[in-house]
Amino acid sequence: MQMVKKSALIFLAVWFGVLLFMPKAELYYTLEKTLAEQDIKLNEKSIDEGLFSLTLKDVTVYVKGIALANIEELDFFTVLFYSSLDLVNLQVDEALHAKVPALTKEADFTHSIIAPFTVSIDANGTFGMVEGEMNIMDKAVHIDFDKVGDISMIQPYLKKGEKGWFYEKSF
Amino acid sequence: MKNLFKPEMLKVLVGALTFLLILKLLWFVVQIVWLSPLDIDQEEDQSSKALYYRVKLTPNNIAAPQKVTKPVKKITGSIKEIKLLAIYNASDISVVTVEYKSKSKVLGTGDVINGFTLEGAGSNFAMFSKDDRNYKVMLAKNGKASSNTSSIREVPTPKRQNTEKKVLGEVTNEGGARIIDRSLLEHYADNMEDIYKNIGIAEIKDGKDLKGFKINFVRKDSPFAKLGIRRNDVIKSINGQEIKSYNAAFGVYKNIKNVDNLSLVIMRGKEEMELEYEIN
Repeated sequence: MQMVKKSALIFLAVWFGVLLFMPKAELYYTLEKTLAEQDIKLNEKSIDEGLFSLTLKDVTVYVKGIALANIEELDFFTVLFYSSLDLVNLQVDEALHAKVPALTKEADFTHSIIAPFTVSIDANGTFGMVEGEMNIMDKAVHIDFDKVGDISMIQPYLKKGEKGWFYEKSF
Repeated sequence: MKNLFKPEMLKVLVGALTFLLILKLLWFVVQIVWLSPLDIDQEEDQSSKALYYRVKLTPNNIAAPQKVTKPVKKITGSIKEIKLLAIYNASDISVVTVEYKSKSKVLGTGDVINGFTLEGAGSNFAMFSKDDRNYKVMLAKNGKASSNTSSIREVPTPKRQNTEKKVLGEVTNEGGARIIDRSLLEHYADNMEDIYKNIGIAEIKDGKDLKGFKINFVRKDSPFAKLGIRRNDVIKSINGQEIKSYNAAFGVYKNIKNVDNLSLVIMRGKEEMELEYEIN
């Protein structure tokens, strides 16, 4: 029993230490560097490092130097066995309104160790409400539209099933 | 307090602190070796400054002078210029062959010629429309066509089968002045992918730096070909805006619906050319 207690304590200490000292901002800069190789750059007004999270405020997304979208808040959260990425108020440039939904009010991407190969997706915006998942093993994305809003611009990419509209793609 | 200074407790405390220090050091090594220490930000585009600006010199409180419209620049095509040579009627579309300015053209329902839209065809006539008026053009006999331009609303207009078909305007050349139909411009402003079906644009790079854009191909008979641009032309500026970055090009694209005229400066070989267009 003493051994189990000691192991649990060590495990907790390692877990906490790893998260506490994790260079979150530098990890984000590395992600930025990787994206920059694809001509995607993120300009943020502020970066706040938390114990388990990293919050970016007022992020402008540039693709090939063009400011295509703005995200009011972007929040990375991880406790290693559970991670999430939350977006608040993603607005795309007016010129793209004919191609993509104008506003995504909230979008949450979550990953849990219970389903290690799956990323869950929940979002709502002018397009309605969606939920779905991305399977890393199958390399497939499936998103169901629970409530349908203005989807006229993305309708050519959607399919209609018994439950309603859905998006499916392999990558 | 006594417990805290027990040798066993001190050992645990020192062990824990050492352990945390090792973790911190490990992360530090990871940070130094693999992670990027700097924030990568998009710099403000300095290359997208306009070379000149088009401004209205008329003060707002003074009535704008009457626009003098040159007769050559106004599309005042006559229906009499269209000669109907042949008709083919299918269940879903009418196709006619017409002669316009000594050239034969094949038109389908919804196509536009000389500002007239083909609405349909009967056994010996074709029906065109322009500005809410209908025009009946009779099949040419011995090379002579007749047109009936009277009483527009009295002439029943056949229903267009394909209502989804987008009627595009044209680029016309009137007395040396090139005129772009506004509907054509609006169509391309809303359908970016249609641009790339007709014209190929490639980057000009100096190492990793973008220096500008070059025309790769222009589809024959497309509106872009009618603009007078050719393969290998280098786009220098559009409406006074230097095009040296995607941001500058996108800025022009975003505002293209609001312009009344278009000025395109290109390099063709070693020669710099300015192409001017009016938008009607």
